[in-house]
Amino acid sequence: MRRRILVAMSGGVDSSVAAALLAREGHDVIGATMKTFCYRETPGPTKTCCGLDGITDARRVASHLGIPHYVFDVEEEFTRDVIDDFVGEYGRGRTPNPCVRCNSNTKFRDLLSRAVALGCDGIATGHYARLERRGAPTLLRGSDREKDQSYFLWGLPAEALSRLHFPLGALGKGEVRKRARDLALATADKPESQEICFVPVGHYRRFLETRLPPGHAALTPGPLITTRGDVVGQHRGYAGYTVGQRKGLGGGFSEPLYVLEIRPATREIVVGRREELYSSRMSVGALNWLVPDPPGEGRSVRVQIRHRAPDAPAVLLSVGVGSLELEFETPQRNVSPGQSAAFYDGPVLLGGGRISGSARKGAGSQ
Amino acid sequence: MIYLDHAAATPLRREVATAMAEIAHAPYGNPSSSHGWGRAARAALEDARERAAQALATAPRRVHFVRGGTESINLAILGRVDWALASGRARPWLLRSTLEHSAVRAAMAAAEARGCIVQTIDVSPTADIVLPAGGAGALQGAALVSVQWVNQETGLRLPVEALAESCAEAGVPLHVDAIQAGGKLHIDMSAHPISALSLSGHKLGGPASTGLLVLAEGVELHPRVFGGGQERGLRPGTEDVAGAVGFAVALDISVRQLERETVRLAALRERLETGLLGRLPRLRVHGAEGPRAPHILNVGVPDTSPDLLHAALDGAGIAASPGTACRSGAVTASPVLRALYGEEATRNAPLRLSLGWPSKPGEVDRAVKTVSAVVEGFSAR
Repeated sequence: MRRRILVAMSGGVDSSVAAALLAREGHDVIGATMKTFCYRETPGPTKTCCGLDGITDARRVASHLGIPHYVFDVEEEFTRDVIDDFVGEYGRGRTPNPCVRCNSNTKFRDLLSRAVALGCDGIATGHYARLERRGAPTLLRGSDREKDQSYFLWGLPAEALSRLHFPLGALGKGEVRKRARDLALATADKPESQEICFVPVGHYRRFLETRLPPGHAALTPGPLITTRGDVVGQHRGYAGYTVGQRKGLGGGFSEPLYVLEIRPATREIVVGRREELYSSRMSVGALNWLVPDPPGEGRSVRVQIRHRAPDAPAVLLSVGVGSLELEFETPQRNVSPGQSAAFYDGPVLLGGGRISGSARKGAGSQ
Repeated sequence: MIYLDHAAATPLRREVATAMAEIAHAPYGNPSSSHGWGRAARAALEDARERAAQALATAPRRVHFVRGGTESINLAILGRVDWALASGRARPWLLRSTLEHSAVRAAMAAAEARGCIVQTIDVSPTADIVLPAGGAGALQGAALVSVQWVNQETGLRLPVEALAESCAEAGVPLHVDAIQAGGKLHIDMSAHPISALSLSGHKLGGPASTGLLVLAEGVELHPRVFGGGQERGLRPGTEDVAGAVGFAVALDISVRQLERETVRLAALRERLETGLLGRLPRLRVHGAEGPRAPHILNVGVPDTSPDLLHAALDGAGIAASPGTACRSGAVTASPVLRALYGEEATRNAPLRLSLGWPSKPGEVDRAVKTVSAVVEGFSAR
């Protein structure tokens, strides 16, 4: 069936191929790039997508494919839903996941409303994920587990699933690049973007300095303490640290130390040995379910707590409206508050939430 | 596709293409060379200059060919600043209206960064220029006043003739951005004391990247680029003979057809405006309170955003423009509408429909139907 589909084109190779595949299938394809923040009218930041260069590349690909292309200004929405949240989370001593926020809000909700206004049946992106359309639509991991991006999609509005298309879900990156070259797309050999699009590479602390009020606790030095409460050093402000991090703690310790916990109220960063990084329990908030019958108490699920990490078996101890508590079958490393927890049943993405806390082996819950 | 974006660029006139092709295929050399081919190029260039000068009622030596309207504006403003700084003025003082095109605004911002003081002159929705307290006297001492003749978004026609008299009285040079006025208003350099005037080729049916700066006797500027002494040293670099010829032909035709064409365009605009307002009574016409050039209709469309509106119009086969955009192609809130009508005007999506020499009544009627259907689609949602 011929559909009218709006494709989110970042200017990267994946979304370029996604647009090309749909156009080849005979759909009425419209390309759209979202202007998410001000580019200050100069090229850069030096990112492979999202900047002015990304828009230029997306336009070139769209013109090559013979499809129209538009730029939508979502700066206001993106600032509110993604950037402000990013800054706020670091301010609260957590490690945010802005790509998830963007997918949950900007990329799908805001883009979908524009697609509907333009008379489109649905929207497509270059994510490596699949949709199973029999019965209620379900979201599956991409076929290529290495490239799978379903982890970033747990926050999508469930009612949007029926309108989504992921043309790359069954492909691997190698195949996507090959198709891009076969189609002579200008973006075929662009490097992958892995960084946060609105923060210059490696400068997120400087970015936070411009966004948080001067003298904010998150940017003020504080003590490094052990789980026993002994002060073993100083840190430069807790916004620069993430649970599991080893770098940046200074030297002179008898053994390697890792960040175990950030306590924004006292500006303390708790550090400890590698084996102390493991948590057996985890609490998750801001839950969003993508299946009509979400798992309840006592159910076994598999949970993924980082991009590209394997999923781990866990049992749901308690499930509320917006939050749950679970126990890992085997304790997991680096459970970072603020990061995403995505729940799976085999390849099916059930939903997810934001990690709100964890309990280390042999310690009480945070 | 119904093309209603002539204020952005209007198609090349057939006569222009013919004249330029002739230059491109003929044995022309560098106009600075003294051999036969060079002399032929020089002759074509000076003919073009004469033709342009005649169309504007000025002397050929007052006409400087430059590479486009933005360059012309930058030369007038920053060239004047350089001259003022070199003549020992510590902080040259410049004035511009609040409605100016980004070329003027950005050139003045660059001047500010170099120590100039920039003051803005308000323009009312009736297109009256509100001079600072003290009237013409208050202009005394300014290094330059720069005001547009016709506003690029609304078509508002500013009383540049009267301002020229005030500036002359104060002994202050006036630069006029006439880029949207070219071919739409009678421009007579001999009738008004205008010190500098900018025009651009692609708004006239000439080639893009061509333009000119007319300078009155005694107005001193410094060049912005340096090289050989072409264009009286103000715009060095080997001359674009084909471009100059194309520009001159386009300007000449536009001026000769001006009277008939302005009546025709005004009638088309009226047809478009009444047609749209008849179907879409909630539209707000921007610029309706003042005198307007005949080719621009700007309306505020409720219940939608500018980027969506223009994507939907493009999909429906209407080429129009919000009138303002940043380099990414995203639509930005219009400083012009904000200056004229306040913050409230920026809540509606601006839609600029502009007519040009190829526009026909049938197209206008079809545009009324299509635009109405698209806008009604948004309101229904």
